[in-house]
Amino acid sequence: MAKAYTPGLLVTGFREHRCRRILPIAGEVNVSIGDVVTANDVVAETNLPGDVNPVNLANQLSMPASDVMDCVVVNEGDTVAVGDVIAQTKGIFGFMKTSITSKVAGTVETISPVTGQMIVRGAPLPVQVRAYISGQVVNVLPGEGCEIEANVAYVQGIFGVGGETAGSIKMACSSHDEELDAHHITEDMAGAVVVGGARMTAAAVARAREVAAAAIVSGGIDDADLKDMLGYDLGVAITGREQLGITVIVTEGFGEIAMAARTFELLKSYAGTEASVNGATQIRAGVMRPEIVIPLESTPEVGDGKRKYEEGQLEIGRPVRVIRDPYFGIIGEVSDLPSEPHVLGSGSKARVLEVKLPTGEHAIVPRANVELIEE
Amino acid sequence: MRTLMIATLTACCACVAQVHAQVAPPTNVKTADAPNDVGNQVIVTWETSPDDVDGGVTSYVVVRSKVDTDESTPIDEGAIGDVPYGVTTFIDENATAGTTYWYGVRATGSAGESAIAQAEESVTPTMEMINAGKIWFLIIMVTISGVVILYVYHAKRGGNISVRKIAGLEAVSEAVGRATEMGREVLFVPGILDINDIQTVAGITVLSNVAKTAAEYDARLEVPTARSLVMTTARETVQAAYLGAGRPDAYDENRIYYLTDEQFGYTAGVQGKMVRDKPAACFYMGAFYAESLILAETGNSIGAIQVAGTAMPSQLPFFVAACDYTLIGEEFFAASAYLSDDPEQLGSLKGQDVGKVIAAGLLVLGCLLATLGAMTGSSGIDAASSYIKDNILGKAGVMPAMVLHIGQEDDTE
Amino acid sequence: MTALDPERIKVILATDCGSTTTKAILIQYVDGAYRQTHRGEAPTTVEKPFADVTMGVINSVTEIGELAGRKLVDDDGRIISPATDTEGCDIYISTSSAGGGLQMMVAGVIAEMTAASAKRAALGAGSIVMDVIAANDGRRPHEQIQRIRDLRPDMILLSGGTDGGTKDKVVQLAELIAPAKPQPRFGSDYEMPIIYAGNNEAQTDVSEVFAEGGFDLQIVDNLRPVLERENLGPARDKIHDIFLEHVMAQAPGYDKLMGWTGAPIMPTPGAVGDILQTVARIQGINVVGVDIGGATTDVFSVFDETFNRTVSANLGMSYSISNVCAEATMPNVLRWVPFNMNERELRNHVKNKMIRPTTIPQTREALMFEQAVAREALRLAYKQHKEFATTLKGVQQQRTVGDTFTQEAGGETIVNNMTLDLLVASGGVLSHAPRMHQTAMMLIDAFEPEGVTMLAKDSIFMMPHLGVLASVHPKAAEEVFDRDCLIYLGTCVAAAGNVKAGKPAFSWSFNGMSGEIAGGEMELVDLALGETAMITLTPVRGVDLGNGPGKKVEREIKGGTVGVIFDGRGRPLGLPEDRSSCQSTVQGWIDSCAMYREEEETAAAV
Repeated sequence: MAKAYTPGLLVTGFREHRCRRILPIAGEVNVSIGDVVTANDVVAETNLPGDVNPVNLANQLSMPASDVMDCVVVNEGDTVAVGDVIAQTKGIFGFMKTSITSKVAGTVETISPVTGQMIVRGAPLPVQVRAYISGQVVNVLPGEGCEIEANVAYVQGIFGVGGETAGSIKMACSSHDEELDAHHITEDMAGAVVVGGARMTAAAVARAREVAAAAIVSGGIDDADLKDMLGYDLGVAITGREQLGITVIVTEGFGEIAMAARTFELLKSYAGTEASVNGATQIRAGVMRPEIVIPLESTPEVGDGKRKYEEGQLEIGRPVRVIRDPYFGIIGEVSDLPSEPHVLGSGSKARVLEVKLPTGEHAIVPRANVELIEE
Repeated sequence: MRTLMIATLTACCACVAQVHAQVAPPTNVKTADAPNDVGNQVIVTWETSPDDVDGGVTSYVVVRSKVDTDESTPIDEGAIGDVPYGVTTFIDENATAGTTYWYGVRATGSAGESAIAQAEESVTPTMEMINAGKIWFLIIMVTISGVVILYVYHAKRGGNISVRKIAGLEAVSEAVGRATEMGREVLFVPGILDINDIQTVAGITVLSNVAKTAAEYDARLEVPTARSLVMTTARETVQAAYLGAGRPDAYDENRIYYLTDEQFGYTAGVQGKMVRDKPAACFYMGAFYAESLILAETGNSIGAIQVAGTAMPSQLPFFVAACDYTLIGEEFFAASAYLSDDPEQLGSLKGQDVGKVIAAGLLVLGCLLATLGAMTGSSGIDAASSYIKDNILGKAGVMPAMVLHIGQEDDTE
Repeated sequence: MTALDPERIKVILATDCGSTTTKAILIQYVDGAYRQTHRGEAPTTVEKPFADVTMGVINSVTEIGELAGRKLVDDDGRIISPATDTEGCDIYISTSSAGGGLQMMVAGVIAEMTAASAKRAALGAGSIVMDVIAANDGRRPHEQIQRIRDLRPDMILLSGGTDGGTKDKVVQLAELIAPAKPQPRFGSDYEMPIIYAGNNEAQTDVSEVFAEGGFDLQIVDNLRPVLERENLGPARDKIHDIFLEHVMAQAPGYDKLMGWTGAPIMPTPGAVGDILQTVARIQGINVVGVDIGGATTDVFSVFDETFNRTVSANLGMSYSISNVCAEATMPNVLRWVPFNMNERELRNHVKNKMIRPTTIPQTREALMFEQAVAREALRLAYKQHKEFATTLKGVQQQRTVGDTFTQEAGGETIVNNMTLDLLVASGGVLSHAPRMHQTAMMLIDAFEPEGVTMLAKDSIFMMPHLGVLASVHPKAAEEVFDRDCLIYLGTCVAAAGNVKAGKPAFSWSFNGMSGEIAGGEMELVDLALGETAMITLTPVRGVDLGNGPGKKVEREIKGGTVGVIFDGRGRPLGLPEDRSSCQSTVQGWIDSCAMYREEEETAAAV
């Protein structure tokens, strides 16, 4: 039948999850195919070339760039420490010499007779890539990184901030539509992935940071609270590099909105289990959503791969969520799929569907404004 | 005491009177403490002697005696001044505040001297705390100062004080950028006067900005000076600017040097430099005389972007014609506020503008009223124009003057 | 492919491979004129699982073939060319912005001079400029190196110095780039292309710096040989060459596609710029074009044959909607909305649109809000454009004593709304607005045209196709542009200068009708699509309608689907500060321009 414009977020009790762990530049891979790794293992590491510090010798010696070469006392490739003399003038009969000392430690990379500049490269910066999820190494890309595969329960959020982290799942709310407030968060949630229900309040996030929780997950958040938390108004949804000390994930959207019951139940069933969480979101071509990955000890029986509905298909009877006002956040069932475009309240003509709301009402909604609830 | 006083003066005059009894003395002598002074003035007035017709009287002589303490006998000080015939006022400007004086006036004529006409009351000049005649001056000063403070406060609170875009200062980055792209120098000429000239100081302010831009762009800046003190100041300024731009290593003091005090020696030196090195940007900021056109024409011929700034009215036309941008008089002095974006400077700049508006407004109004008054002959308009002249700009105080008009000079502030 | 005689081209097939859809159009020579006859659309197939762009092209072309009843694709899945009477096409051309388009980094010595020229060259070639590195950009060298390292551009354009000018600054830039070793975006199997278009005397030194390897240095003529003149052509052509040789070659299927086309494949925005330049040249007019997308807004302008393009990277209607609200501030967005909205909820709505970019407004309130955001996005993008489209900086000025009090700085904007003749809109929120009146009003409110300006929208985003066509057959491109590409909305007559609220601003008369517009008022008068009329405009003293303050204007105007919009609001457009009077003012404008009318349902499919 018809494809939904907005595919739903992936929430599944079982999936073979494969993730690539790649170094920013070529380096060394510490694992080989078949190795079993845990989330915190370093799978690859390298040294980023150090910072580059140009030193303008021509200016410091007050001489034309072409004369600088005669005064330089170090060679390309030499290691210099802070305070080492790197250039010295001839002076007058050996007196009145001016010498220039290095202000940084590193290696002399180049000395240019055109610009009179010396480039000193600082010590290399080590970079480590961790496994992020516990699983098995299934592929090694020599010099670049590896691929890790694991059987996982997998929850995609709609939006997150903060980077990769891990911790055990702790349920803070008892139902999927309970607001997550500060009093739900207890001292023993340090290092844990705290799961709430509906909107998380600013106080709850603050409290979670206070008890040093690893991540906080709930249905929604107020944009105003997000702004206060970040200290700036988020302009473009490209996140993951924030240094908040906590990873925040909302599963449904902004405002008062309850977590999908299925997501909540799934997370609840894994309470106490270690999970890997990444808040990085990128809503552009090549979309990235935040995720909660729960590696499984054994393959659960429920996830037999059979689906009630085909992926991405709109069908009558299928549960959908309306993702734009005036029915924002409401979950209903598709009750009709008229094929003719319909004129909306806004005056636009668009393809629509009819949704049966929980109240029993039927509402006409543009197809672009619903997302499928993947079963 | 009064009896004593009269007795003395009478005694003293009596002998004179006996000799020259032909001239009648002036009448109705009055004294008053002069208003709005520090207490050193007494105004003496009288009515002319009946003989003051057809040259009967040639002058009036004012005499004074002072009372040191309450009970002492007044000490006669004799004549303290005279005025020609027909005049009926004398201002004694040598009185001491707090001392009590008695005054008398006698007429002198071809027929000898009259008896002394005695003032009826003694006078004790006092100092006034407020010069009521200059109240307007106070009002205007308070207004302008208030406005300055208000604007400074406003600017400090983040309020927007917009200064008209001064193209010449905006062009600094453009000129320095041109020099950088072309791999040439930036030349800055701070005028030929010494650092005590306000124009040189203003020029140095601009130099600070030029140096900062040059440091950021990593352009070579040369500053030849005609005075040793200007060189020292320029070095300090440029060094501070390089430091401020985070490029202390790029500063080279040898590029700021002294040529000669000699006007045309200096000009020739700078001109030679321009012809040889062809700087891509030239700044002329300070006091200039005949060398203005020589320098600006040379700069133009070598294709440099030139920015000039001076308050020398006679040199401005040359600069305008030969340079890309010219800062004219006030613009030049406003440069530091404009460039620094400092709320205090911006606020006072704006406040001063209000002062200028007030001054210009009074000027226009005064001219208008005077012209109208002359055309119509209306006394009302004349009164209004003289109010501006005497009261607002003069010393006549807030009240329309007639009363205090006596003895006031019409000097304007 | 050999160049064809333009006279013999009768059937033209053009495609634009966008990041999501591939659009194909067919242009045929019918009854003595070139017309766009059919169009087809199919999803782009650059990404996995298809990974062959030609599949999408064939799908869209097949759709056209069916509609036109003309066989365009042969049994082997190739486009048939040359044409016979019943099948094939004479020439096939294409543009591409798939895979995020062409992304570049540019570098120059002074940000406002050679770096600005380099940016202009890159933008003009249709690329996205990721960053501009300049000696005076305020960053320390190590920060610049870090930035170069983080970016993964498709290529780098390095300029700096006039011919014979600074050498060391240019070499310094090269010395920043070389050790940073930026990695190309697609794979590591090709060397980072660097185009050097700077000081000719520094060419050897620059090549020495890049000699170490890992770079593919190409040297072209200086793009700023003297500060007084730009020479962007060689750099621009080189960008196109490298785009084809390196960047396109990396994308799956493009090698095949390149073999089919009769003219080089162009980056989509570059092609849009070309058609606007062609039209401006042929018709002798000044044009501004805008394309507002989900993430970015492109503004193109041609004033006195000088072309400029800017890309406002974070001004868009979905991915970037939240950024528009942050940059413009909520109160500025809300001033266009004639009713009260709860700011907290609104903020959440905006963010929800950002994280779910494909949703469309369902209610009128939501539509009005979205159009308010569009106005601000366009206004900001146009502001950026004005700041960029300037006369050259660093140029010596000639003065006379008469200029004493009117000294103008160099680098003034060349965008002049008074001399603007045609304003072209494209992009979802503008071209898919339920009523064209809304499109027209968004354009007027955001761009604030002055005097007499024609408003139009790109019907089906055909400009890219016509841009490539312009390179082979300018006349055909211009004809189709005028007849089929543009849908004329009408003409805007706006008063500039000293307009007083409530007092008469100007009077108008055409086709026997006449009226008077007061300050702060708007009026809509019908003039149907395809009709023209001679209009006489008489402004009051101090009001300018194009011929100077108070001067009468007589000229021809074109009608359109909206008609003639008289705008007496004055420039710059000021709205009341007070929320409630602002609402009533805006409501007044909405009513007088019939922007949201219930009964009419001339809706465009979304």
